[in-house]
Amino acid sequence: MDEFNDNEIARLLRLKRYEQPPPAYFENFLHEFHRRQRDELLRQPLWRICLERAHNFMLQLDIRSLASYPTAVAAMLVCAAIFSLKVYQQPETARVASQSPLTLSVPVNSDQEWNLASPVSTQIFRTQPLRSFRESAQTHRAAPPRYVLDSVPVSYEPTFKF
Amino acid sequence: MDHALALPARRISDLLSSGLQARVKSKRQAMDQPRSDPDQDLVKRTQAGEASAFDDLVVKYTPRLYGLVYNMTSNHEDTNDLLQDIFAKAYKAIRGFRGKSSFYTWIHSIAVNMSLNFLKKRGRRFQLSLDDVDASIQNDKEFMEATATSSPVREADLSELQRRLNEAMMKLSEDHRAVVTMFHIQGMPHAEISKILRVSEGTVRSRLFYANRQLQNYLDEFRKNPVS
Amino acid sequence: MSPLSSSKRRAVVVFALAFCSGASLLFGQDQSATATISHQVREVFERAAKAVVKIHGVDKHSEICGTGFFVDPTGTLYTAYTVGGEAGNFTVEFGGKKCPARQLVADIRSGTAILKVDETTPALPIGKSDELEMAAPVISVGYPLDLPKTPNFGWIAGFDRKCLGRYFSTIHLRVNAPTQRGEAGAPLLNMKGEVVGIVVSGLENNAACYAVPIEAAEKIRSDFVRFGEARHGWIGVNNVSPASQQVEGSRAMVTQVAEDAPAGRAGLKEGDVLLEVGKKKISDPEDVFDASFYITAGDTVPITVMRGDQKITLQVQATMHPAAKTGMLLASPGTIPGVIPMSLDDDATPSP
Repeated sequence: MDEFNDNEIARLLRLKRYEQPPPAYFENFLHEFHRRQRDELLRQPLWRICLERAHNFMLQLDIRSLASYPTAVAAMLVCAAIFSLKVYQQPETARVASQSPLTLSVPVNSDQEWNLASPVSTQIFRTQPLRSFRESAQTHRAAPPRYVLDSVPVSYEPTFKF
Repeated sequence: MDHALALPARRISDLLSSGLQARVKSKRQAMDQPRSDPDQDLVKRTQAGEASAFDDLVVKYTPRLYGLVYNMTSNHEDTNDLLQDIFAKAYKAIRGFRGKSSFYTWIHSIAVNMSLNFLKKRGRRFQLSLDDVDASIQNDKEFMEATATSSPVREADLSELQRRLNEAMMKLSEDHRAVVTMFHIQGMPHAEISKILRVSEGTVRSRLFYANRQLQNYLDEFRKNPVS
Repeated sequence: MSPLSSSKRRAVVVFALAFCSGASLLFGQDQSATATISHQVREVFERAAKAVVKIHGVDKHSEICGTGFFVDPTGTLYTAYTVGGEAGNFTVEFGGKKCPARQLVADIRSGTAILKVDETTPALPIGKSDELEMAAPVISVGYPLDLPKTPNFGWIAGFDRKCLGRYFSTIHLRVNAPTQRGEAGAPLLNMKGEVVGIVVSGLENNAACYAVPIEAAEKIRSDFVRFGEARHGWIGVNNVSPASQQVEGSRAMVTQVAEDAPAGRAGLKEGDVLLEVGKKKISDPEDVFDASFYITAGDTVPITVMRGDQKITLQVQATMHPAAKTGMLLASPGTIPGVIPMSLDDDATPSP
């Protein structure tokens, strides 16, 4: 084991531990993670969300054989049936639900040039508020801006050199 | 932060009237997991639907996994993207985590595998995007020994060596880079590395030995021909 | 209880009267004191508010919001580096309208950024942060979260060179005023309404804040006017350690001088005890940061040292830090450009 630890290469490699990202990076990471999670959910079509929920549900039941796509699809069909029954009782909601996918699928994190002509916020105001299953998806339609106030000043000097 | 969207649904066993079923299930899970898994509680709470428990796991493992992924990819931006993907994948897959290994091993496997896949796809087209060296290196015993003269020239030498080392690391194959990163930089013992990579300890040792020799050769070459 | 005698009753009444009038006097005074503070703060706020703006930008991850303020009538505005340094697509809200803004210069070492709006604008007068004393009252005006501009009032709690082991590039003003997210870049004003600092970060969950002295931003601006970029000077002192004894009020002993560097060439030697660097007095090694911050590459800096019994003043011509040119991996991170950026771009041109 000593041969692995005592040589020059090992020492130099150990010094690589000090190559670190800026301290603010780790603080920001969780924030970024949540933002991506929300973005991903918003970008997914409804059927996919249902499928994943059903899949997770099956996994919870601890019945491995059921955690397969055919079962998930069957479960989804059941959900869809229940949902459509509810929708049948509230026709306006259904109409709005079918119109809104376009606006919801605008990703905050798109590859297109971000320009002020089409900010996500105006897209939000165009949609009607939904009273159904989709409502929870609507509350996080776009990530709010990050209000800047870091917890430490960005500048720092590590050594007494000048 | 509202996790309404990201919350897994509540355990069916909690909704069923038979609490006994729940107790039996949790006992079985507890027996499955290695007794000393310190993350057991957080994992269970995440599986039960408490998304903030997963946040704690993210915060705990980000620095460690950062080191692992960064030293394999030598690119900060790629590391950031990979880390996001790793935790996203872990979050999706955690419901199926049965605790046969510790969470530490499990998430490290995900990280290593995703990094290796990424590197294999990336191939030779890469750009170094290295992190700056943290100030605390000044307090490192080995660093102080290495630069312990009053001549600033030595520090420039060390810097050049580090740069060559980074280059040499990129010349190693991804699998060799992985073991070098885990053993020398992350300080993981052979046994842990073999569990994460699912290879024998002997394979880990021989990869390390080979990689060490390769790296030493590159550095020796540089010393003989310092002008690149 | 037996009833009080008439004289005792009289004493009680007199005492009660005295107590009540004393209390009302005090209460009245308190009221007028707080009314005065409130009045003064409101006055400063109302005068300054016109020149304080909300800044919108887009960085790598998301939209960002912060605060900034105009310092001249041609639309030059100061803000924190975390707002104006690594984002783009800036728009600035002031006087009921939104205008686009562009970045002129961003300097991570000072923690500041300068943007420009092509409009005629109100402006805040620049004050002097060295006139501030401990517990001096200060006001800030910022845009917290998505709320309208808000006055804040607090006290100078310290002139810090470091915090929790982390040295600042220059002395930072610590203010005991609760600050909210979105207020990075807010101006810190003295009671005359002059800008003495720029709020850059919160402290302890935003219960207090740090502000960079306005002189730091002015230095960057003056570099920009002269050279088009920030120019941090380097003279080549590699280490300053505490001397065992104080010499002429200073313990800052030079213990390492870089070879082939301005300080060495000007005659600075190891063992010299620093007394003054430029205009700043040195009394211990930590003072070196603040002093060196104001050195501009290309300028000649007078450095006074004690060598044995002799007091010597050397004229050192500062140059650009070598790391700025070569990007040495292990050079002191504080002097490598972009040292704590939110994104690390290997191809970024250095601007120290």
